[in-house]
Amino acid sequence: MGMAEPAYTVASDSETTGEEKSSSAFPEIAIGIDVGTSKCSVAVWNGSEVELLKNNRNQKMMRSYVTFKDDIPSGGVSNQLSHENEMLSGAAIFNMKRLIGRVDTDPVVHSSKNLPFLVQTLDIGVRPFIAALVNNVWRSTTPEEVLAIFLVELKAMAEVQLKRPIRNVVLTIPVSFSRFQVTRIERACAMAGLHVLRLMPEPTAVALLYAQQQQQAVHENIGGASEKIALIFNMGAGYCDIAVTATAGGVSQIKALAGSTIGGEEILQNMMRYLLPDSEILFSNHGINEIKSMGLLRVATQDAIYKLSSQTSVQIDVDLGNELKICKVVDREEFEEVNRKVFEKCESLIMQCLHDAKVETKDVADIIAVGGCSYIPKIRNLVMSICKRQELYKGMNPLEAAVCGAALEGAVASGISDPFGSLDLLTIQVTPLAIGIRVEENNFVPIIPRNTTMPTRKELSFTTFRDNQIEVLIVVYEGEGEKVGKNHLLGYFKIMGIPPAPKGVPEINVCMDIDASNVLRVLAGVVLPGSRHPAIPVMEVRMPTVDDGHGWCAEALDRTYGSALDLVTVQKKI
Amino acid sequence: MWKSKVWNLTLLSTILRRRPTLLSISHFQSNSTSPFPSPSFSTISRISNFDFLGNPSFSGKTFCSESAEKSHVHVRCWSCGNVANGSLFLFCDSCRSIQPLDQSVDYFQIFGLERKYDIGVENLEGKYKDWQKKLHPDLVHSKSEKERGFAAEQSARVIDAYRTLSKPLLRAIYIMSLEGVDVDEEETLSDPELLSEILEIREAVEEAADSQELNQIQSQMQEKLDHWSNSFANAFQCRKFEEALNSIRRMTYYQRVNEEIVKKL
Repeated sequence: MGMAEPAYTVASDSETTGEEKSSSAFPEIAIGIDVGTSKCSVAVWNGSEVELLKNNRNQKMMRSYVTFKDDIPSGGVSNQLSHENEMLSGAAIFNMKRLIGRVDTDPVVHSSKNLPFLVQTLDIGVRPFIAALVNNVWRSTTPEEVLAIFLVELKAMAEVQLKRPIRNVVLTIPVSFSRFQVTRIERACAMAGLHVLRLMPEPTAVALLYAQQQQQAVHENIGGASEKIALIFNMGAGYCDIAVTATAGGVSQIKALAGSTIGGEEILQNMMRYLLPDSEILFSNHGINEIKSMGLLRVATQDAIYKLSSQTSVQIDVDLGNELKICKVVDREEFEEVNRKVFEKCESLIMQCLHDAKVETKDVADIIAVGGCSYIPKIRNLVMSICKRQELYKGMNPLEAAVCGAALEGAVASGISDPFGSLDLLTIQVTPLAIGIRVEENNFVPIIPRNTTMPTRKELSFTTFRDNQIEVLIVVYEGEGEKVGKNHLLGYFKIMGIPPAPKGVPEINVCMDIDASNVLRVLAGVVLPGSRHPAIPVMEVRMPTVDDGHGWCAEALDRTYGSALDLVTVQKKI
Repeated sequence: MWKSKVWNLTLLSTILRRRPTLLSISHFQSNSTSPFPSPSFSTISRISNFDFLGNPSFSGKTFCSESAEKSHVHVRCWSCGNVANGSLFLFCDSCRSIQPLDQSVDYFQIFGLERKYDIGVENLEGKYKDWQKKLHPDLVHSKSEKERGFAAEQSARVIDAYRTLSKPLLRAIYIMSLEGVDVDEEETLSDPELLSEILEIREAVEEAADSQELNQIQSQMQEKLDHWSNSFANAFQCRKFEEALNSIRRMTYYQRVNEEIVKKL
């Protein structure tokens, strides 16, 4: 954590996890929080509907950032100063949702180096060096710490308005978050004294809101009671997430999820690079003047992108200091060409999600586009054209849909019922990423495939790689890459004391279990042919086990053990 | 003729390799005799006879073996004591409590269906959601740990039931298991005719020039799957289990080809 005595609460992990008491006759309603890369919002079920909370400046959307000044950091919830000005001083840290739980070899971290604060990488698989400039000194921090400070402010704001202590929250997270990143989010919540009742992939929160709206339509006899399939496209500043959901009777069964780390930030960076091609070199020394220039370029570019959503061209006129001036007219075609790859990626994600859901575009009843990027005309058009439709679903505010869904889930999960049946809702979730283990030659074998309905339990059989191999290493990864290097390491443990036998003889069964609370457990057992009983006690390990610096682990394991403790997939007989 | 095909076997063993995505239900029968409590998740890709879930170190938290001793005569709600209405008792209608898992209720009963292979798949989803709305663990967050455990088991079993009944091959394997006939998915393919047919199809898939060609093979496979699904239905109805097994074998292989095509597409 670096610095001494922070001015915020740090509750221990154990204090905020595990127990879920419901002794009170009036259960506490969990609030919904949507922590966005750029903006953040809080909503709660007020007894009859979902209500968004406002800060003392009457804002529902608060900038997700924290400014470090002297000893007291302050966040975008309460801060009176404008984000734009603070960004120019190097003291404001933002984009924590993009940085959290990532190591310094991660491309997302690399693309964050031109932010107007310090992000340094050594490319060795440890957490990046992130720092704010306070009185000309770099004050190191972590995304968890920044998020915790911010959450403390959100919590205080909600407590004042709801006139009660807040403890339980439902948080939305990107689809592409690994289970390790989820633990970092939980850690930040614990530091802020919040208990995470549920974490929802963002588009599934939107799916729940949709389920409620459909249910209401049925009650009012507008729509039929039959099942409706919806495609949900959610793109904010940091992430692009897609879900296909089948809704009937207030139940939303998620059919498939797809997600990626593309978003408004990438679009912004592409534009900044387009306007000032050598900006990265110019700003690499992170001096106070350079930070100011970076901040000015950022603000001007952001502004231009907003304007291009409603007008076909925009005049950019900005003085970056150091005799650096940008004076340029950019039209919408240029903007779309500069970001062609981003839009192509969006298209391929939608296709993949529809494919995984085994849904034809003609069967999609509604197309829902939400998130800040859904205002970009090109994005709206591409979503509609893939689904061969002329219009998008109109019943939702694109910036509020996710937090409203989270608040609904908060009420449902807190056991609140509504006399009008408005909370008669359920989302049946699926695994956003495959979970599996490493086998020989660094191949990844999924045990629980992605888009498996949760809770679930799956098992696969493996065997030894060498003769008389008495130990094997179970290395657990999450992701879609065929090689483990492309996936997220979750943890590892060793199976020891395997009776000596020729290679391929011992049967090593690996079972993965995700329970109703989304806890992942990995079990491994060994049997020898002819026996029905385990040769050694079955090991059960809760995942993830890794901590920061996990980028190092995989490489170190490889260097130290090579293939000595490898596993092999059992080949099926014909 | 068989001997000359031996080389095919080695070749096949490499190209027909697959992940065990099908469920084998051999353990359903063993439940009644197993010394271990029944698992909460009965659908797992089973490849060995090693009963993972029966391991005592594992069985502590999730299961309720009480159901095994229970007869259907006077099933009462554990919470309010009301007598169950009929044999299907997952959920108490009078106090809305979720009941412990009863393995003797089969998937067809859960969905209110007659135990036969030909079922209307289109009505499954609605019933599935109705059950989840009563049983899903997310909805009993504020209830006792005991009931949350029941919810986890019941809900998982309904998921399994839905998945199994909605897929023809899984449904076929399951309904055979209810008749006490195990399908050995690991058995060596011994029908030389089928072997060479499959080999030819695989070759065609390997050499397919474009997605159009793959789509064509895929629709051929679908035809074959439909054909053998019908054969299975007839054989099963006449209780000709050998023939039924043969149909399942065929369906298994055509399905694998389809999975392979999907990967390539």
